[in-house]
Amino acid sequence: MAKPFHRPHSNTWWLRRGPYRVFMLREWSATIFAVYTVLLLVLVSKVLDGPEAYDDYLGVLKSPLMIAFHAVALAAALLHTVTWFQAVPKAMPLRIGEEKVPPVLLMGGAYATLLGASVVVVALFLLD
Amino acid sequence: MPDTITLELFRYHPDRDERPRFQAYEVPFREDWVVLDALNYLKDRVDGSLTYRWSCRMGVCGSCGMMVNGYPKLTCAAFLRDYLPGPIRVEPLSGFPVERDMVVVLDDFMQKLSSVKPWIIRETAAETMASGEYRQTPAQLAAFKQYSMCINCMLCYAACPVYQHEEQFVGPAVLALAQRYNLDSRDQGNSQRYPVVWADDGIWDCTFVGECSAVCPKHVDPAGAIQQAKIQSTVGFMRSLLPFGNR
Ligand code: SF4
Ligand code: FES
Repeated sequence: MAKPFHRPHSNTWWLRRGPYRVFMLREWSATIFAVYTVLLLVLVSKVLDGPEAYDDYLGVLKSPLMIAFHAVALAAALLHTVTWFQAVPKAMPLRIGEEKVPPVLLMGGAYATLLGASVVVVALFLLD
Repeated sequence: MPDTITLELFRYHPDRDERPRFQAYEVPFREDWVVLDALNYLKDRVDGSLTYRWSCRMGVCGSCGMMVNGYPKLTCAAFLRDYLPGPIRVEPLSGFPVERDMVVVLDDFMQKLSSVKPWIIRETAAETMASGEYRQTPAQLAAFKQYSMCINCMLCYAACPVYQHEEQFVGPAVLALAQRYNLDSRDQGNSQRYPVVWADDGIWDCTFVGECSAVCPKHVDPAGAIQQAKIQSTVGFMRSLLPFGNR
């Protein structure tokens, strides 16, 4: 009886192609958000501890290392935003009769919502 | 234009070889030749033992899929001229056991294909030919038509890193086909497909790499189909939590 050959898997498969690398980057960047969330929770607890604790923590956050980390976190968040919004027309295709609503329009809608939400958040702080 | 181009072919004979090897062949370069033409030339004139599947030569039958320079391709649609100056490395589709040379074992795919019941299911078995055809509007047809274009070439499986590492994953084409019938207005079998589609090894194994859709020669977009099914599955789950939500 002939035996089929099972080819071995490689652990470096994701290095082989651009889209695989972007995918891996996106998956691993989730750890950055985990760290960011912890920093944010610490900030909240410092607010509860009073103005002094809060100011001290702000000092920590202003260190070059922290600023660098937040820059990386922002870049990762943007990567997630862009790829997530690219998925919108795939995951939620809209049809009007036989016609597909153009994907660009759906993505545009997602970006418009993001912009709108951002304006509201910024306004809340500025009107304070 | 060169006169010839080199093909490096994956060779494995189950009775003779412990391991596969690569064998290089020189073939005439022709502007209008595809990789499959080169393989047929070799089989006819140089080495009759070369083994691979093909049939239609026009992107319809879905049997000529192979890895061409590491990328899943229908070899009847992969022009030699796009791989100049060569060499062109041809291997069996990634992720499947190799039967011989470029021929892979299809059993796993076939079993998964039938597991989602890819046919129209009606609740009332008593319907006969006499009750007439099922009517469908163009808009209802448009809702699933894209997913019905699949030719079962399995290129999407060869591109999917999840399937390469977790063989139990139902996989892109089969999940897209399940979606094709679930979206069909004539079908009433959704609930029979959910146990396979909504399972952990169904849509939830998918991490949305998206390469299945990128390699699909028929623009089926299985990645899109899977993400849609994830939304439906989530809505279904939420509904089941409501006291009267479980329709
Ligand atoms: S979904 Fe596309 S790539 Fe996958 S088997 Fe069908 S036609 Fe081939
Ligand atoms: S030979 Fe039929 S799809 Fe290529």
